[in-house]
Amino acid sequence: MSDGINSSTDAVVIERSFDAPVEFIWQMWTVPEHFQAWYGPSGAEVTVAKIDLRVGGTRLICMLFQSPNGPMQMWFTGEHHEVIENKRLVYTEAIGDENGRISSPTEMGMPEGHPVITEVRVDLESIEGGTKMIMTHLGIPPESPGAAGWTMALDKLATYVASRGN
Amino acid sequence: MPVAVEEDRLTETFAALANPTRRAILARLAQGEATVNELATPFAMTLPAISKHIKVLERAGLVVRGQLAQYRPCALDGAPLAEVSTWAEQYRPIWESRFDRMDDYLKRLRP
Repeated sequence: MSDGINSSTDAVVIERSFDAPVEFIWQMWTVPEHFQAWYGPSGAEVTVAKIDLRVGGTRLICMLFQSPNGPMQMWFTGEHHEVIENKRLVYTEAIGDENGRISSPTEMGMPEGHPVITEVRVDLESIEGGTKMIMTHLGIPPESPGAAGWTMALDKLATYVASRGN
Repeated sequence: MPVAVEEDRLTETFAALANPTRRAILARLAQGEATVNELATPFAMTLPAISKHIKVLERAGLVVRGQLAQYRPCALDGAPLAEVSTWAEQYRPIWESRFDRMDDYLKRLRP
């Protein structure tokens, strides 16, 4: 793996089986209406999902969170790297703006040169009675602070606590 | 510890941290222990409101209370923060709950 994503990365790998055919699971990831129905973390709503489903095609996702200071929008942008219908989907993800411009690390309160792009890989396999899905989210090196929005405060806090020699 | 228990604990840690007042309380405690009164000072909040936030932090294991009956000063416990320190550990519960929702949604589409 290269593509500007650090090779010594930390990854989340989740394997799940669903009681639905691969075609359905593929649509969960690739059809905006379906993607919006499940993707937002609890408390968030996916208000925009533009998915240009082809290699090199872009993705633009907007999540709306209710924060104590009122509604807060977060934009995610990315590019499809592999699109093999009903089998494999690979795309990148980064925090950006509504125009699909990726925010720089400093704009997000992180050191210059900090990797900001992560990669999501979805592998689907037809099994008896449904679909086996393996999702791999390749991130940034484990020793770096996290790269995504709401975890930043937590990271700052953890670093702060560590620096106090707790 | 069984995985489910660990994840419950992570969920509790995240829930406790998902509030700016509670994060401010932890940031204050990172400088040293403090009483509830001292913790309440910077906030335009009643003591019971602050106490509620401290209880959430206690349940998440992020704050421990001293045994001195009168003051019971609060202190920070960084152990749960160390558990959520890696990137993957931060993202795993988010993806797990997403796929729970995907499963529910699929069931609604094809009962």
